[in-house]
Amino acid sequence: MKTKQRAFMLMTIPAVVLFFLFHTFPLLQGVFYSFTNWRGYGDWEFVGFSNYLNVFKDMRAWSAYGFTFQFAIVSTILVNIFSLIVAIGLNANVKFQKTLRAIYFMPNILSILIVGFIFQFIFTLFLPQLAGLIGIDALSENILGNPDYAWIGVVIMAVWQAVAFNTILYLAGLQTVPGDVYEAAAIDGANPWKRFWKITFPMIAPFFTINMVLALKTFLMVFDHIIALTGGGPGYATESISVLIYSGGFEGGQFGYQSANAVIYFIVIVALSVFQLRVLQKREVQQ
Amino acid sequence: MKVSFTPIIIGAASLLFLSACGNEAAEDGTVELELFSNKTENIATYEKLIEKFEEEHEGIRINLYAPPDAETLLRTRLVKDDMPDIVTIAGSALYGELTDAGMLVDYDGSPMLENIQPAYLDMLKELEGEESEGIHGVPFAANANTVIYNKEKLDELGLNVPTTWDEFINALQTAEDAGEIPIYFTLQDAWTAMPAWNSVAGVLQPDQFAERKTNGELSFEETHVEMAEKMKELLEYGHDRMYGIGYNDGNREFAQGNGVFYFQGNWAVPEILTTNPDADLGVFAMPVSNNPEENKLVSGVDVLFATMKDTQHPEEAEEFISFMLEEAQSEQYMSEQAAFSVLEGVLSDDPYMEGIRPKFENGEITSFPDHFYPPGMGAENMIQEFLYRGDVQAFLERMDREWDQIQLRF
Repeated sequence: MKTKQRAFMLMTIPAVVLFFLFHTFPLLQGVFYSFTNWRGYGDWEFVGFSNYLNVFKDMRAWSAYGFTFQFAIVSTILVNIFSLIVAIGLNANVKFQKTLRAIYFMPNILSILIVGFIFQFIFTLFLPQLAGLIGIDALSENILGNPDYAWIGVVIMAVWQAVAFNTILYLAGLQTVPGDVYEAAAIDGANPWKRFWKITFPMIAPFFTINMVLALKTFLMVFDHIIALTGGGPGYATESISVLIYSGGFEGGQFGYQSANAVIYFIVIVALSVFQLRVLQKREVQQ
Repeated sequence: MKVSFTPIIIGAASLLFLSACGNEAAEDGTVELELFSNKTENIATYEKLIEKFEEEHEGIRINLYAPPDAETLLRTRLVKDDMPDIVTIAGSALYGELTDAGMLVDYDGSPMLENIQPAYLDMLKELEGEESEGIHGVPFAANANTVIYNKEKLDELGLNVPTTWDEFINALQTAEDAGEIPIYFTLQDAWTAMPAWNSVAGVLQPDQFAERKTNGELSFEETHVEMAEKMKELLEYGHDRMYGIGYNDGNREFAQGNGVFYFQGNWAVPEILTTNPDADLGVFAMPVSNNPEENKLVSGVDVLFATMKDTQHPEEAEEFISFMLEEAQSEQYMSEQAAFSVLEGVLSDDPYMEGIRPKFENGEITSFPDHFYPPGMGAENMIQEFLYRGDVQAFLERMDREWDQIQLRF
């Protein structure tokens, strides 16, 4: 028994050490530097909470929070709708089911930057030309160049890329629903719509919860999408908080200040995730 | 069990240490210096010059490192305390920051600085700020903020190179009436608004604006209304897709004959010529004022050499820098890169740059205003947004606010 325990210990320790070294330690360092005026190198002094106070006065940070939440909420809802639809389709007894599943998973294995550059090409050259040919003036402008609509372009690309992963989770969920429940429902005369709402959806509720939480968390930390599509522009219209922290911290030499921003954001995300889990899990239990 | 883990951990750890020590001198006594460059355009030229240097100086090896997005990378490396020996960067806010942090070797009084045009040394001094003593970089090449124009089209329209603002607007109007795109804007990339802004603000802004702004004596709102209005006026001569086209697409379109004028610096000329080697291009300094004498050329230090204080081989680094400043090397660099030498009396004979040579000759040069804006302020994004929205008052207020807030973040 004792040797067995030692073996397990030896298996976990390297992971714990590595995790601490490359994850927890930098996090603590970040918290430490958020109380300094460090610019990333050179001398620094402690400045107390002034970085934190200044974040709240920073219009650019507020607008980044606004964009990030708008983007994350809309994308999360869309991703969950689309991936549930795709999952139900792929779970049905269709031809080429396995091939289709593989194809629908493709976006997930592509790098976001590559997808971003392809979408940028589509928005900049392909769509305006197509719209010009058909004669729709409203679409002949590159939406990424318009401060009011650029975020929609980012949403389209992010949703396209993210549906794949959530579809897999929903598919896994759908496989757990036993077939005889449907048979019973069909005998009782429930139509497909009712069967979905009364059987499928409640049965996969835990998967819905985890998909919502994961999607929201990923979209709140959106970074690659923005860098590939707009770089935060036009103006600051599509600057997410991660992009702001990166560009302000490294390009602007505000390492300490943006560390404070990152700490605040970390707290916000943790609070949100906990809240989301609580609410959605309560719903699972009720049903 | 235990035995099999230790070597893995030791192996991983030693790998980490090895990668951190890559900079040490080689065993046979040759000195290796890392040259960190923030430009990818001039890699080939540097490599040729380095080869020549290594032939002449046995025992010194120069390793050129010129990654994309170099300024950000340099900052991340400084965070990790992983310093190169020599940096070659532009005379911009980053240089001011590095000197401010006391990371560069002082070259004040060094014979290397003797032949350099005083205007460029003054620029570095101004970037370093009042508190800093000495000069911590050796200027090497200069750039110029210009209007590039299509000579053929200008001739067809029967126009001369404008020398005053009114003439310029008149030329734009003529081009528009003739059915041409007067200015090919590429405003999807925020920074491409800067060449125009730098021309307008560089000539019209009050002296020592940045310093006085930081001290609270001046504001954008009080001093920059005229500049903002002029930017708006230029915008009327743009094209339908100007917010949806970026720098690379713009270079291609302009090379193919779309647009008469193009607001870019001399650095864009070689790029345009790669698309269309036959393009007949010329450059001039944007005439911002109606008094031709006020219309100076906005020019800055595009490349300077500086040695990091932490280097173990400052003498060898200095040897390399003075080698680069010798006339033969300087001339080779300038002609291959279509750049301008900062050495006194060395003028570019590049035919494309003919239009601005007199400005260099007569020293009618002023510096890039945005090189003095606080780093991380993101002026280009605010200007891009302003051009889209067109609200002068809101724009200037925002510039003031961001500037003031940045001062609180250090």
